[in-house]
Amino acid sequence: MLTMTHLVALTPLILVCITAVAVMLGIAWQRHHAGTAIASAAGLNIALLSVLVIWQMGPVETPLLVIDGLALFAAILILISTLVCVTLAHAYLEKYPGPREEFYLLLLCAAAGGIVLAASRHLATLFFGLELLSMPLYGMLAYAFRERHSLEAGIKYLVLSAAATAFLLFGMALLYAQTGRLDLAGLAVALTEDPNAWALAGAGLMLVGLGFKLSIVPFHLWTPDVYEGGPGPAATFLASASKVAVFVVLLRLVLVAPAFQGDWLHGLLAVLAVVTMLVGNLLALAQSNLKRLLGYSSIAHFGYLMVALVIGDGLAVETVGVYLVTYLVTTLGAFGVVTLLSTPYSGEDAAALHHYRGLFWRRPYLTAVLTVSMLSLAGIPFTAGFIGKFYIIALGVEAERWWLVGGIIMGSAIGLFYYLRVMVTLFLVEPGMQRRDAPHDWGVRAGGVVVLGLALLVLLLGVYPSPMIEWVKLMAVAGS
Amino acid sequence: MGLPMTLLLPLTFLLPLAGTLILSISRGTLSERASAFVGVASIGLSALVTGLIFLQFLAGDGAPQTVTLWTWIAVGDFQPTIGLALDGLSLTMLGVITGVGFLIHLFAAWYMRGEEGITRFYAFMNLFVFSMILLVLGDNLLMLFLGWEGVGMCSYLLIGYYYQHSTNGWAAFKAFIVTRIGDVFLAIGMFLIFLELGTLNIAEILQRAPEVWARGDTMVELAALLILGGAMGKSAQLPLHTWLADAMAGPTPVSALIHAATMVTAGVYLIARMNGIFTLAPDVLYLVGVIGALTLLMAGFAALAQTDIKRVLAYSTMSQIGYMFLALGVGAFDAAIFHLMTHAFFKALLFLSAGAVIVSCHHEQDMSRLGGLWRRLPLAYAGFVIGGAALAALPLITAGFYSKDEILWQALASGNGGLLLAGLIGAFLTSLYTLRLIIGTFHGETKSDNARHAEAGRGLVHGLPLVVLAVLSTFLGAWLQPPLADVLPASPGEGVHAWHTALEIIASATALAGIALGAWLFLRRREWLARLAGQGWGARLWTLWNHAWGFDAFFDRLLVRPYRGLVRLLSGDPLDGLIGLSTRLAWLFNAGLTRTQTGKMRIYATSMVFGATLVLLVLVLGA
Amino acid sequence: MNQNATALIAEYWAVGLFVAAVVTLCVFMIGAASLLGGRSRGRSKSLPFESGIIGAGSARQRFSVKFYLVAMLFVIFDIEAVFLFAWSVAVREVGWSGFWGAAIFIFILLAGLVYDSRVGALDWAPKRRVRVDDSI
Repeated sequence: MLTMTHLVALTPLILVCITAVAVMLGIAWQRHHAGTAIASAAGLNIALLSVLVIWQMGPVETPLLVIDGLALFAAILILISTLVCVTLAHAYLEKYPGPREEFYLLLLCAAAGGIVLAASRHLATLFFGLELLSMPLYGMLAYAFRERHSLEAGIKYLVLSAAATAFLLFGMALLYAQTGRLDLAGLAVALTEDPNAWALAGAGLMLVGLGFKLSIVPFHLWTPDVYEGGPGPAATFLASASKVAVFVVLLRLVLVAPAFQGDWLHGLLAVLAVVTMLVGNLLALAQSNLKRLLGYSSIAHFGYLMVALVIGDGLAVETVGVYLVTYLVTTLGAFGVVTLLSTPYSGEDAAALHHYRGLFWRRPYLTAVLTVSMLSLAGIPFTAGFIGKFYIIALGVEAERWWLVGGIIMGSAIGLFYYLRVMVTLFLVEPGMQRRDAPHDWGVRAGGVVVLGLALLVLLLGVYPSPMIEWVKLMAVAGS
Repeated sequence: MGLPMTLLLPLTFLLPLAGTLILSISRGTLSERASAFVGVASIGLSALVTGLIFLQFLAGDGAPQTVTLWTWIAVGDFQPTIGLALDGLSLTMLGVITGVGFLIHLFAAWYMRGEEGITRFYAFMNLFVFSMILLVLGDNLLMLFLGWEGVGMCSYLLIGYYYQHSTNGWAAFKAFIVTRIGDVFLAIGMFLIFLELGTLNIAEILQRAPEVWARGDTMVELAALLILGGAMGKSAQLPLHTWLADAMAGPTPVSALIHAATMVTAGVYLIARMNGIFTLAPDVLYLVGVIGALTLLMAGFAALAQTDIKRVLAYSTMSQIGYMFLALGVGAFDAAIFHLMTHAFFKALLFLSAGAVIVSCHHEQDMSRLGGLWRRLPLAYAGFVIGGAALAALPLITAGFYSKDEILWQALASGNGGLLLAGLIGAFLTSLYTLRLIIGTFHGETKSDNARHAEAGRGLVHGLPLVVLAVLSTFLGAWLQPPLADVLPASPGEGVHAWHTALEIIASATALAGIALGAWLFLRRREWLARLAGQGWGARLWTLWNHAWGFDAFFDRLLVRPYRGLVRLLSGDPLDGLIGLSTRLAWLFNAGLTRTQTGKMRIYATSMVFGATLVLLVLVLGA
Repeated sequence: MNQNATALIAEYWAVGLFVAAVVTLCVFMIGAASLLGGRSRGRSKSLPFESGIIGAGSARQRFSVKFYLVAMLFVIFDIEAVFLFAWSVAVREVGWSGFWGAAIFIFILLAGLVYDSRVGALDWAPKRRVRVDDSI
């Protein structure tokens, strides 16, 4: 039965849902772009505050959801990235000629889905959360549907995601057929008693479904096209909140269910991890489109993160936490700059690298933000990215998985090339190049402030990461 | 009573950092006046904070204090902390950096007036002070190294400040690359120490070193040698000294702050800081002394044959740091630091006075085109005379006398006759070239229009730093005894007094003899000198000294050209191809993989199915 | 593995047989018809054939997009209303908390409906669309 404790523990989720409904009714009542954005941001902020309050409660389990450290951690990350997306969307949609308000509605629904997904302890909520996360994303990706690329991205993601969902469902069905259970704990018990090929196949198919969302090689091919075509804020959400939620649930599966801990599955995960980081980085090498490049880079980064899944003990949860935080902050910063430089009104997003040529001479601070993000993605010391990568490598070394460590180092070496290439482009001067520019007062707008704050956070986390690490440790303890 | 150290110590370097940030964020929207104000005020506040720290430190028991700000990342055993350590040594350095630094910043407001990019100038200067403070306050070698690289970078940026002239750019390059050679040594030394002792914390290193290493152990000698390599590069000692004279391409306040008072003495600081390692490696310590002695002689002769005021001063800086190395070499660490401090005073004074002359004479800095200025530029003249007297260690009334005498006395007390002799010859040379510098600049006939139309600087900003530094260069400056007793090991001359007075008299006589000879030569026998330098072996000697014994050409022959030849030889090499193979391979893979991004959904779906099949096959067959 | 396989075969042989039978039947019917049946060709033979009358116009008719929109809305609300059946069956067992749950559910549906009607999704005629465009 649902008790008061349960309800309190679910407050963040409920608040996000209420905000979504309220925004919907608000739109029905009167369209107001800034008002909608402010209402969404307010709701998300209140939800974020409630998470901080609930933090002290300790794990609460409902039949379908579990609100533990990991879930709350993921909720915080999802809420923060949604907030960033809201502010970016406000800047991005300012001049959009179609209806602008629905974007926030979709964003809020997707955020609710992410929170459910990360907190699920039952295959039903897992599926439901994943779909609630993905469905609004189709709409968000195709939001600027007058742009051919945006529409293409939406349709591509829709179809391929549906296919991936089919795999996921099939995997769940196999597991259910084998054990007759749908809750993760029950599944774990049943599978320990009777592990067999069907269960493994089920686990493998679920891995395919989730691997698609995380764009793990060979399920990664959609990533660049969708990132490139989707409007800035949608791509931002896809790269940040969506991936965090899916990764957290995958972590939960691997930690809980023994079917995900067999030797072969571990071996498979290890191979996928190495292949993913290498392929992601190699594909980005000659890329001249910043959004695609960021897409490839996110492939590679989740390859690195999978190392933590493969090792799965010791520092693994802490590592995942630290890495996700650093990745999130960095990615949001990078996508934020891209979004601020683009509007859906003036053609497709400013993504081609030549748009960024000599950006420094026009928008030095924005360039600084992008530079810091690139450095962080490359894992240069004194940026957040270094801390994350350091953790991953330390984990690999400690577990003596030399192939994985070798993969990370090779991947990082390749990665350095294209990150630096972007940075060089920013500082080049060449007259007469095609130019895209942010509005003059971008720095005092909400989006600009957020992006600057993110860049500062990247540096701060790089220099003074211990509070973040302490916090993640707390989460790891509460989550296990 | 006072504020806690945890607040005060970070403030010393956060203030300059704030200055840098404000200046760099303003992006030229600040006026010249405002930029100068921000740049000077940040250092001034930092100096005030240092003063507070000084008072508190003296009021306390003088025990070293450490402030651990935070642990950077804690992964397993590797837990580098970001901590600050304050003891007599770092406090002395801190005082020099912020105190002299403030005066130089103030003077620069006058010197740089009307220059382009004054914001940039002050941003770099503040950044330099920030890095330098980090260097001396860091409680571990990692932070020290960070500051070490930071000052190197600022030095590079400021030498190339007038970047429109390519020669300045090359000078900056040279400084950066040559010091980088030393930095590599230092980095390897750090790794070695971490490998052997398992820590980078300086206090722990000094504590563990005697436990792990026996006296004269090969490892400790190697570590000391590597650290010495770093110190040599930074402090412009033989054979890594060639960059310093060219570094004078930067604005004169930069030369005063970075290339005379603070950064170049970082090597001395480093060796004094790591004294525990060096006392375990007596051979290397002796080598330090020998290098110092050789440098001070080499630079002394070179200074005799320069015509550019700033180059004379640059060689004199090398030579004076040679004295400091000599002191370190005989184990008199506190004498080295004492000389470091007094040298910072009088050399900054000399440089600033030189700056006053240069600006007054419309950027004329060649002695052969100056002369007879003493009536027109009285303040600069006074600065030169007082600073020069301190440099030449005129007995009793100058700061330089007390510190240099201490060094010579320690050399005698430790029984190193050779080093003492070198020191005495150096003292003689110092007097000689100092007098040549002053006479060449301020006496005789005025040789160019620029000098004839010299306008003396006016105002507090111009006068105050000169006056304060002049006061500090007299015996008053020598009263500031650095509180080093607890930090550094006892000197060999401690408690011994025999022959001390005799040595003082000899040293004074040497200095005076140099001055007398100089006065006779440069005032009375000028034509004879010019003739001597113009022909035969005199000319050859002049060229040799003018090029500082030809080290540049030597290195060019020995290193640069063979290196370039080697590069040319290796450019088509299979080894290179092997390294290039990885890149080519990466591009190949890239090309191959890019073909998979067809943009066609059916291909994408197929790859998913393919992947799923693979996953299933592996799992089902494997189970 | 081997034992497993044997057990599997033992368990599912009937299914396998069924699948095989279905495939065989299909192949037989199509194959036999194509072998035995006669063929005739002619210009009119390839025309679409509807109860003896030649089809009028193209089969690729363009429907108003509204058609799909309304159809979709119908499906969505219809499916969601189905959940209420589940509640109605167990209305006594789930008590007040079930009631509140259903109330919230219905409220959200209602909010969606209100939104749809205000946005103009339920209007068949395009006139109301103008209102939406105006409000931008």
